[in-house]
Amino acid sequence: MDESTSITLDAIYLLFSGDAELWTIIAVSFQVSSTAILISIPPALAIAFILANADFPGRRLIISVFNTLLAVPAVVIGLTFYLLLSRQGPMGDWKLLFTQSAMVMGQTALCFPILVAMGHAAFQAVDKRAWETARTLGASPTLAFYTVMKEARFGLLAALFAAYGRIIAEVGASMMLGGNILHYTRNIPTAIALETSKGEFSQGIALGIVLIILAFALNTSLQYFQGKGHLRN
Amino acid sequence: MKDMHNTHIYFSDIAIRFGHQQVLTDTELEIVSGRCALLCGKNGSGKTTLLRIIAGLEVPYSGFVNTGIGKYHWNQYRQQLRQTTVYLHQQPYMFDGDVVSNLNFSLSNKLTRKKRIDRINSAIEWAGLESIAKNPAKTLSGGERQRVAIARAWLRNPSILLLDEPITNMDHDSRSRTIQLLTNLKQQGVALVVSSHDPVHFGALTDTLLQLSEGRVHRFITSDNVTPIHYRKHLNTNAKQT
Repeated sequence: MDESTSITLDAIYLLFSGDAELWTIIAVSFQVSSTAILISIPPALAIAFILANADFPGRRLIISVFNTLLAVPAVVIGLTFYLLLSRQGPMGDWKLLFTQSAMVMGQTALCFPILVAMGHAAFQAVDKRAWETARTLGASPTLAFYTVMKEARFGLLAALFAAYGRIIAEVGASMMLGGNILHYTRNIPTAIALETSKGEFSQGIALGIVLIILAFALNTSLQYFQGKGHLRN
Repeated sequence: MKDMHNTHIYFSDIAIRFGHQQVLTDTELEIVSGRCALLCGKNGSGKTTLLRIIAGLEVPYSGFVNTGIGKYHWNQYRQQLRQTTVYLHQQPYMFDGDVVSNLNFSLSNKLTRKKRIDRINSAIEWAGLESIAKNPAKTLSGGERQRVAIARAWLRNPSILLLDEPITNMDHDSRSRTIQLLTNLKQQGVALVVSSHDPVHFGALTDTLLQLSEGRVHRFITSDNVTPIHYRKHLNTNAKQT
């Protein structure tokens, strides 16, 4: 058995033997990223909807800003929040640096522009008559918004999965803001980086398998939901 | 549905512009329960815009609504318009889902499940939608969509129904069925305002024939039974004068 096969088998064993350390890392990852995405969804979708349907001065500039933020590396977001949260920074008194809250802040900043930009595209693809029909049939603005969201659900799901995929796999912001503290802020990507630097490939590969399974599950779900949609006229 | 309406609204001084283009200028329109106003005019004359203003979907920079009880600025009366008026697009929008779920959209969430089902069944029967009730609404033909949209509006029990080119590109059968539904609504006391390029088909339905040109409504015939002959006569007279 060559070395790579042996490492992979070790990784699979670690994953399925219920290794406590490994599963704590996985739990931290999901906890932090799920919190960040849940915080981001309501305001991001509201902004995306307004950008797609309202016309006001500065609208194009705001769209350009969000599109630009898509390209900002995670490590730059990490650095920005590090400076804000460090003791001399404007938010230093909050004492959030190297906590899960700091990681949530960083990941929220990372997924927010994805949700806005892709959500905006999804809402723009919905016929304006959907909103008008809902309103003329007596729907309140909230119900009409919900109706348009339902019409745009495939695009919005794609935005959600893309955003979640990005933050659960990013290293830069989590490393700088969380500090990679075992059982507290060590998540899947930071653990992979650490284990690889130590030459402990088994745990890194096991965690990599989790990320690949997650990506596969998200994409399969998206395909499933999109497959249920009817052709639009 | 037996609810009788008692609507008599007079819109005046309606004016709107898009960019530098003045679309409507000091336009007037009278809407009465159980009567049908047919709005004619060339492409771009502002027919759709006028209907959308009455529906509360488009905002004019000037406009008043006289209800007989009081005269309101359009903005003050907008909410009331939204509650009492249903506007049907030229190509009605169908939500994802089947015809039943589209009809269900018009019903209040406060209704019990049984009441909802009863109302939906009555709408299906009223509009003759039995054979397509379970079909995905987005796959329906133009005529079927229009009938579903009218049934959806009927469930809202509106005082005013605004229809933008409701029989465009329909075959004879679909056109007859659509006009029959509109006739039923009119008999129930709903005030209809219909825009059309092809007013000849609405002869028996129409009470008031209006022409929109140069941003203004010109009322040229009011009778209980406007026939296509009236309309043709009017056009001929106009042509001779010019």
